[in-house]
Amino acid sequence: MPTESPGGGFRKSPSGKRLSSLMVQDYMALHQKASEGAFVVWIAIIVPAEIFAGFANVVYGVPESHAAMCAGKGVGSLQCEKAERMGYSSDLCSYARIDLGTAFDNGKDSPTFGLPRPHLLVSNTNNCSLLVKWFDIYHRVWGVPHFTLDIPFSYESQKPRDFDYIVTQFADLIATIEEMSGQRFEIEKVREAASLSCDALREWKRFIGLAAGRPSGITAFDSFVQMAPFLTSRGTRHLAEHYRMLADETEEQVKSGIFPVPAERYRLLWDNIAPWHQLRKMSSRLSELGANITCASYTYCIGSKEGEYALHEFDGGDPFTWLARLQNFSVCPHGMRLRANAMKEVIGINGIDGVVFASNRSCKVYSLMQMDQMRRVRDELGIPCVMIDVDHADERKYSEEAAFTRLEALLEMIDAGRAGSIAPA
Amino acid sequence: MGEILATLCELKNQGRRLVGCFPLYPPLELLHSFGLTPVTLWGLSSEVTDLTKSDRHLQNYTCHVARCLTEFVLGDAHALLDALFMYNACDTLRNLPEIIEEGLKEEGARLLPMFRLHVPAVAKERTGVRAYLKDRITSMVCDLEEFTGRPFSPETFLASIDLYRIQRELCAEIEDAACRGTVPFPTFVRILQLAHFLPVEAHIELLDAEIPEEDDLPPHDLRHPGVMVSGILPPPRQLIETMEASGLRVVANDIASLKRSLGYNPAPTADPGEYYCDFYLNHYPCSTLLASSDRRIETIRRAVHDSSAEGLIFFGEKFCEYEYFEFPHLGGMLRAQGTQTLFLELTGQTGEGLDAPRNRMEAFAEMLKGQAGS
Ligand code: SF4
Ligand code: SF4
Repeated sequence: MPTESPGGGFRKSPSGKRLSSLMVQDYMALHQKASEGAFVVWIAIIVPAEIFAGFANVVYGVPESHAAMCAGKGVGSLQCEKAERMGYSSDLCSYARIDLGTAFDNGKDSPTFGLPRPHLLVSNTNNCSLLVKWFDIYHRVWGVPHFTLDIPFSYESQKPRDFDYIVTQFADLIATIEEMSGQRFEIEKVREAASLSCDALREWKRFIGLAAGRPSGITAFDSFVQMAPFLTSRGTRHLAEHYRMLADETEEQVKSGIFPVPAERYRLLWDNIAPWHQLRKMSSRLSELGANITCASYTYCIGSKEGEYALHEFDGGDPFTWLARLQNFSVCPHGMRLRANAMKEVIGINGIDGVVFASNRSCKVYSLMQMDQMRRVRDELGIPCVMIDVDHADERKYSEEAAFTRLEALLEMIDAGRAGSIAPA
Repeated sequence: MGEILATLCELKNQGRRLVGCFPLYPPLELLHSFGLTPVTLWGLSSEVTDLTKSDRHLQNYTCHVARCLTEFVLGDAHALLDALFMYNACDTLRNLPEIIEEGLKEEGARLLPMFRLHVPAVAKERTGVRAYLKDRITSMVCDLEEFTGRPFSPETFLASIDLYRIQRELCAEIEDAACRGTVPFPTFVRILQLAHFLPVEAHIELLDAEIPEEDDLPPHDLRHPGVMVSGILPPPRQLIETMEASGLRVVANDIASLKRSLGYNPAPTADPGEYYCDFYLNHYPCSTLLASSDRRIETIRRAVHDSSAEGLIFFGEKFCEYEYFEFPHLGGMLRAQGTQTLFLELTGQTGEGLDAPRNRMEAFAEMLKGQAGS
């Protein structure tokens, strides 16, 4: 999690400290409520968790988020190895391997003691459809019911027929939980949760918007770390409040002239999931080179419609309309043209000098477009790019030296471009 | 020129309009009823010997199936195809339409019209699933009307359904013969693989010619251990030869391009929406049809039991997550009921690259024989 050193990449601000206690509280509350008889759901990260607020006593755990935390705390590879010993291929997504390793070892070695056993698994097909296969394993081994939200991929803006299909599925999910838990659903509570989520997202956009300043007020690494409660505390007042304070504090720092990379010479964009095991090392080492990865497709997409950057506001009306419309927001469930639109906009807003495409063999759905996307950014926008190999959660598949050789080459390309643009004068 | 490309050339020369489809379960009858010739771009590794074009677009951790498909289309095939069709089978494939389009642009080639379908990944009992799929099929019918310039004809559609029904029934017959040993397994594989590239009429003729009136081979020697084979694609010829030389009899198959593709015949109806609801929602279970998950376990268990297979060989397509998430549990379940399993990982290897899987197959055969003798 964040370092203490201003100028060293990213900081342990008051929001950073608050984040740590918020996460601890979230996981403790999850275990506590589960042990007291709450109905426990495991969800994929894009499942609209605000729906669960409609029930008096439903709690949810997010295996992907837990896996990211394991990787960030240095136990990702350890948990992966456990899954591999059970026969799961090391080619499978490292989040899945971490989760399988943790779950089948009863939470051992996890910073949160794993997640409480679920009564219901809710996967979806949008970020990736392999998540359905991953949750199917628990369904088969533990006999836990498995509900899948089927979200069609967006090559263009979400179509009305797909939207209607998604809304119908929300209703089915609610009916399933009502039946299984015996609890009654109240839409008013979901409306309130959606409203709070939207407040949180507005603050989130204000926070990541600080990347547009020169030097940038944040690094993408700050946004990686700070996105965690968005996954575990959606629809809560404390999330909205946390992001408001985060944005306020960061603005204050900017006003006071405190920047994560004060001698910022290179402003970079990151495309792919965060390299959870490298946050501190990578940001510090880049900072020493005067480089700041100021923004990332992984975090600037949060709260937007597919292929856009602006916040998609909740109008206070039907919460399902808002939640369904956002089901393709994250990068994986939409296609290359949409990805390119958002990236182009962010490159413009943030004055990006170079793009780092993190090719992630664990996450094919994010990565298997990057070669073409990289060519587009380079050829159409004239922005230098590199591709580096990273596994977001399995450190064994990452070589710092190989990555930095390429990152340094990117900085040289940026320099060469600058020199070139001055030289002809 | 490879055999498949040569077949496509010949079809093109006959004036056919070819639709390259991926992955394995496209709506063949519907395409056919519009006078199009669907070809399923699958199992191309024997045809694709070099991945240069694909490597410009896909990282090397993409499965060999997708790399070959991309190479094939970006190579000579795109000039022979009139359109592409795809549905959402896996995370890799859903990214391919735009990647192929980028590749075609880069080649300076004509862009191919693309028909896309989203096949629901949830069970048929769920609210709105059938309505959604029917709506998608209706849109596709409209798109095909526009593309071909001819209206949908219920009569022609029923006639197409009939042809594919005959084809699947004949495939089941030849499979049955192969499992009894009266048709050599390699012959069965070769003929079924041709289903993906030949016009259905020609394939039916071929099946008619190849299915013996009377058994031309004696049935399997039942002293040899029987195995079931599973995977996305059948293994390469050399491994099939090793399997036979080691004395293993294939008594059941669960290969996606064979059994899973041809194992279910929907009830005929002139309504394409109804037909494809039946086709996709009741399809022979497959790791890539997410809604078939519960049925899949039961289907495999039953197939092993009914065929008295003593072992199951998984031919794993490296980087195919859909299959790889299933192997440990399936393997464990089968071993718990006394069925031995062998897992072989394949990624387009040829020649010496097949030595290791060959050796393991031989050792597996020895083990099964030893078990039978003990
Ligand atoms: S494959 Fe990618 S999208 Fe899917 S769970 Fe893994 S990291 Fe997430
Ligand atoms: S082999 Fe597996 S990963 Fe590859 S295209 Fe087929 S289903 Fe997808």
